[in-house]
Amino acid sequence: MTIKLWLAVWAGRMAGWVSRLTGRGGSSLPGLVARRLEPATLTQLVRHLSWGAILLTGTNGKTTTAALARQIFEEAHRRVVTNRAGANLIEGLTAALVQAERWRVAPRAALALLETDEATMPRAAREIRPRVVTVTNFFRDQLDRYGELSTTVKYVARGIEELLPEGRLVLNADDPQVAGLRRDGVHTVFYGLELAEPTSEGDAEAGDARFCPYCGTALQYRRRYYAHIGHYACPGCGWERPQPRVRVVDWHPGAGWATVEVDAERVTVPWRLPGIYNLYNLGAGLATVVAAGLTLEAIQAGMERFKPAFGRMENLTVGVARWWLALVKNPTGFNQVLATLAESRLPSFGVVVAINDHYADGRDVSWLWDVDFERWLPRLSAQHWYVTGTRAYDMAVRLKYAGLSLAHITVETHLEAMLERLKRQERFETLYVLPTYTALLAIRRQLTRWGVTEHFREG
Amino acid sequence: MPNQRPLKLLHLYPEEMNLYGDRGNVLALTRRAEWRGLTVEVISRGAGQLVDWDTVDLVFMGGGEDSHQARIVDDFLRLGEALVPRLEQGLPMLAICGAFQLLGQSYETADGQTLPGLGFFDAWTEAGRVRAIGDVVSKTELAVEPPTIVGFENHGGLTYLGSSSQPLGRVLLGRGNNGKDGTEGAVKNHVIGTYLHGSLLPKNPHLTDLLLSWALRYRGVAQELPPLDTELEWTAHGVIVSRAKR
Repeated sequence: MTIKLWLAVWAGRMAGWVSRLTGRGGSSLPGLVARRLEPATLTQLVRHLSWGAILLTGTNGKTTTAALARQIFEEAHRRVVTNRAGANLIEGLTAALVQAERWRVAPRAALALLETDEATMPRAAREIRPRVVTVTNFFRDQLDRYGELSTTVKYVARGIEELLPEGRLVLNADDPQVAGLRRDGVHTVFYGLELAEPTSEGDAEAGDARFCPYCGTALQYRRRYYAHIGHYACPGCGWERPQPRVRVVDWHPGAGWATVEVDAERVTVPWRLPGIYNLYNLGAGLATVVAAGLTLEAIQAGMERFKPAFGRMENLTVGVARWWLALVKNPTGFNQVLATLAESRLPSFGVVVAINDHYADGRDVSWLWDVDFERWLPRLSAQHWYVTGTRAYDMAVRLKYAGLSLAHITVETHLEAMLERLKRQERFETLYVLPTYTALLAIRRQLTRWGVTEHFREG
Repeated sequence: MPNQRPLKLLHLYPEEMNLYGDRGNVLALTRRAEWRGLTVEVISRGAGQLVDWDTVDLVFMGGGEDSHQARIVDDFLRLGEALVPRLEQGLPMLAICGAFQLLGQSYETADGQTLPGLGFFDAWTEAGRVRAIGDVVSKTELAVEPPTIVGFENHGGLTYLGSSSQPLGRVLLGRGNNGKDGTEGAVKNHVIGTYLHGSLLPKNPHLTDLLLSWALRYRGVAQELPPLDTELEWTAHGVIVSRAKR
């Protein structure tokens, strides 16, 4: 260990303490400070991990997948370093390693499980040299940052080139763009859904990758679970969905369990998260721990105690109502949340949509027009929509053009004012609260102030 | 205005050219016609399909990723033989981003090839090094009130207008066609080309109504569009306009 690294780590930690004491969040700040003093901080700290690092990337499901895999690793007595949700750029990854220990400099953990922004993949993988890279899916999200979807896929492909020689890939077999990342000579664990019941959710959604990544021909689907995710084959070159090793084969949302097959074995685990999209997170999480060498027994033990991550459909009591929080950040995710609300079959509820357009949210709100409100509004028994955030009026216009009467829409751009008002409301016993990323953080701060949630380390 | 045949809106390449919420434009045109008792029939046309041009009253085409645009470009150039003469005769069209580029003389692909467009606009597009990304407010010379247009640009291409071309607007915020001359988009006859997503039309109801009135006129129906309650749309419009004044 060099003096330079020692200084960098301690300066980073102190920056983190000061930032937290003064009430600012700054979950990436320790990484930023450490990297100023020692640009190789991340590379050097990762070398101390006894097993190595896993990078998790893709548009949707990173946080839930990471939470799930972490739970299983920890139950299996593997110490894990993880980064905070959203702190997934290079500074955030560095901050996670810098703050892994309280007094020691080098982490004692066996492994680092790092959710990584797609555009950060080339750099993160170069500095970290991961043992496993897990890719969840590719949807349109924050294209204002990266330009186009194909650019995003290229970033991830460049990251994969930095896998260690014995490294493994974990890929979603049901997303053609992800499955197309497979490389000759790299051991790959595919995962996918093979449910008996048809659950196809329409073709009207914005589909992104309906073309073969190898020859460009339009893919044909035998089954589509949502958007472009399903069982496909290319009529042009004959390429088809790879046969996955990890398969979610059965799901009973009411009873709260799911059955997963790994190779020829089968395990039934508790599973209370709503929606098909979360089944993919289950598959991704299990495939990741399988790729890291864990057994089915370890998986079973770990799953008994799994809880969803903050803001990914967990619920809280506020005033007289139950609030369900679900992050929305792109058309597919929003459609999936609306599908879940339609499934809930509650006779009456309110929906709160909080749309901000700060950098972390994506500054372009055009994607709201790709959410299929036309399809979902008639199937929802929502009696009222509360719309807030910096782009509340865009959201209200979206609902108006989807056919919702203005009498059912309340607009208040000021998020805190809207939350105060909703805290006092007694009209609905259930409110679904659907914020973009920075709006979720603001809601979390407010809930903490009210004492509804425990204090979160991250601001 | 009931008992008329529906307005026919031709939506070109909805599968390939549908980036950044461009379908919101079709929705805005459809809804604002419906709210006035008009019906709109949307005809989606993919590559290789036939068009009954004599029934088309309005054309919309959005932007697409480079790889998707490459799939339709040959078909679009063939389509130009029927489309361009009609645009010259007043058929209204809204062309966003990639579609706007393809209506020009030529465009440069990301790998440096210069390829011909339809040549309807006296304009050409070069590949830029940095993407122009952000909110846009422009001031238009079209006879609409208010004279502002708002949207979100996200393009790598730099478009230059020839001396005979009229821009859709001049930017008060954002980079516009090329980041140098302050122009945004182009207008010729009843064709609007622009880089603005957002979606464009829902937040610019004056443009939506202008396109609808052009479509009615093209079909030979002389009638004014009755006003609608558009307060919400104008408030959303105003949120972006106020960013230009900071």
